[in-house]
Amino acid sequence: MLRDSVADFAKRGTDIRRVRRLRDTQPGFERAVWQQMAEFGWLGILVPEQYGGLGLGCAEMAIVATGTAGALTPEPLTAAAVLAGGAIARSDNETLKRELLESLVAGALIPALAWQERAGVLAAAAVAVRAEPFEAAIKLNGSKNFVAGAAGADGFVVSAQAPEGLALYWVPASAGGVALDLQPLADGRTTGMLRLNDVVVPKSHLLASPVCAAAALQAALDTTLVMASAEMSGVMGRALDMSIEYMKTRVQFGKPIGSFQALAHRAVDLHIQRELSSAVLDDAVALFDAGASGARRSAMASRVKARCSEAGLRITREAIQIHGAIGFTDEYDAGLYLKRAMTLSAWLGNAAQHRRRYAELSAAGQEGATA
Amino acid sequence: MTAPDFGTLTDDDFRARVREFLTQHYPTHLRFVLRRARLAEMRPWYDILSQHGWIAPNWPREYGGMGLDAGKMIILLEEQERHGVSRVPDHGIVQVGPIIMKYGTAEQKKYYLPKILSGEHIWGQGYSEPNAGSDLASLTTSAVPDGDDFIVNGQKIWTTLAHDSTHIYLLVRTSKEGKKQEGISFLLVDAASPGITIRPIRNIAGHEEFCEVFFENVRVPQANLVGGLNKGWTVAKALLSFERINIGSPRRPQYALKKLEELARAKGLFDDPGFVDKFTALELDLADLGSLYARYVEVVKRGEELGQEVSMLKVWAMESWQRLTDLLLDTAQEYGAMPGAHAMDGVEVDVLSPFYYARPGTIYGGSSEIQRNILAKYVLKLPA
Repeated sequence: MLRDSVADFAKRGTDIRRVRRLRDTQPGFERAVWQQMAEFGWLGILVPEQYGGLGLGCAEMAIVATGTAGALTPEPLTAAAVLAGGAIARSDNETLKRELLESLVAGALIPALAWQERAGVLAAAAVAVRAEPFEAAIKLNGSKNFVAGAAGADGFVVSAQAPEGLALYWVPASAGGVALDLQPLADGRTTGMLRLNDVVVPKSHLLASPVCAAAALQAALDTTLVMASAEMSGVMGRALDMSIEYMKTRVQFGKPIGSFQALAHRAVDLHIQRELSSAVLDDAVALFDAGASGARRSAMASRVKARCSEAGLRITREAIQIHGAIGFTDEYDAGLYLKRAMTLSAWLGNAAQHRRRYAELSAAGQEGATA
Repeated sequence: MTAPDFGTLTDDDFRARVREFLTQHYPTHLRFVLRRARLAEMRPWYDILSQHGWIAPNWPREYGGMGLDAGKMIILLEEQERHGVSRVPDHGIVQVGPIIMKYGTAEQKKYYLPKILSGEHIWGQGYSEPNAGSDLASLTTSAVPDGDDFIVNGQKIWTTLAHDSTHIYLLVRTSKEGKKQEGISFLLVDAASPGITIRPIRNIAGHEEFCEVFFENVRVPQANLVGGLNKGWTVAKALLSFERINIGSPRRPQYALKKLEELARAKGLFDDPGFVDKFTALELDLADLGSLYARYVEVVKRGEELGQEVSMLKVWAMESWQRLTDLLLDTAQEYGAMPGAHAMDGVEVDVLSPFYYARPGTIYGGSSEIQRNILAKYVLKLPA
């Protein structure tokens, strides 16, 4: 049923003209479509039932992520509902958590997670933003970069070093001292560079205390790696289908170009990458839904992000080559798929970064086993 | 001896039983030999398997096999790979037996099957010819009816272990009419027949594993035809699902990965980010192959037939395996050009054997290029 509603949305709820129209605009998506996603229940798939969500798993979320990304939907579904929502759902300020999750599920509030500071640094604990007591409140200072889904966000979940350790704070976009610089991404969306200059929030905005903040952040990030991979799987699937279709219809030298072995073998190699990606994605989803934790969960997340990023980029790059000159035009859709793949690949660590992370995690695992 | 009824065991119990059996009975000096072992070496193991009723895992129990379902079949293959068990000369078990069961006459079943089980008959496969490799249907070795016999003339090549075989099963041309595939027949031939000459061919690893086989006016009884005149192509194509899946098992390249890891650890290469990047990419290529393989195993376990898409498993498994042994060679530096085991930084490793061992996988059983043709045609449905 979920699969049907996603397919129906991809067919009628969005289209490529809308995607093109929203490119390089702000916020770059439509609140009406967001509301529709809320009505479908998609924003609450991973949110526990007692907070108004559906309490389902990665299997269901992956169906939505794959389907919407395959249609190049610009709405910040994974950034808000998986990454920010995931961090909120694992926090320990019950009152704030309930309030934020219920409005997220209803589509009334779009949160974004501001965790990363430096390019290339994937460690969630590498945080220089500081939170210090200020009168009866908390004062935040520092910078966050590459904030996904920042455009149109109603507020930010910000990781910061408090005197007691790493914590998460809720910072409304309208709070004084918050400056957001939106920089363009290749796919026509934006990423946020967030400056926090003496931002004062009440103590009730401490969302996750140092008791759970680091674990909440890591779990949300790992889950989002899997969902970004699901999105990549949707993008590569569509790009490859499009290329294969073209190979069947485009005629040169009196024959469809798909009959030429150089191109046919190229397409087969891309298909193998697609199938490997989808097999690893299935395994990752199953492992996450079985409740894996720690290094095992993180290693799986890196494994799937590495495979899908590499395969997605390769398939969409080669889609341009298979189409020839028409593939290099802005008018043709192949370029849109390449650009979405570039954006998804670079988000939260590309293939090379995640192979390194996988190696580090498995080396640590082995030392742990021998110790 | 009749095999015990493995059907009553759970998969986990069966796996434990296989491990126990291999540990108890498999000759230690034959673990991980990294080449196709000869019959003389493997005969004791053949006899043990035969005596315990383990020689024919894929055969139904009424024919004296283990009668394993697809799931248990895969477990057995996985455990053999894990333990480093060499194949016995098994063409009789894997190919000829099932083909005779499906297409053979009552006499053929009665005569041949027990002799395969006992190891009295060892079979070699006579398919490829000098001018019919990837394009197998172009084969020209001819069988012309003469009284109750066929007269066979021609040449087969790349016949694995023909020099250890008592019998050879042949694809021969019995008609030049119509499509090439429709003039081919399947014949059972006694290798001791007059007119047969077998010459071993040395491979690049220095081993004599395959042979060329010459047929000069060789008389073969017409009663040795299987599946009817000009039906050989259909007979030969009737491969079972688990045999097609086994070639893509992620277990086989594990040995090379293990050796590479040992060598790299001894050389301190895990502190070298350049090496770690290459190593991890290959490690993940294999891990991800495992995910893809598991998907097909599920299909087979459900009792469904595998489609042509299983070709991608062979392509990825064999090509990943080769990339792994390429890195093993590079990592050994000077020793990457020296045959045999050498002590390098405190570990003793033979890098050339795994390298050579991984080469033919992209050639035999349909080369990687042929597999890509198959995938392009039947899976992507690209035009010819």
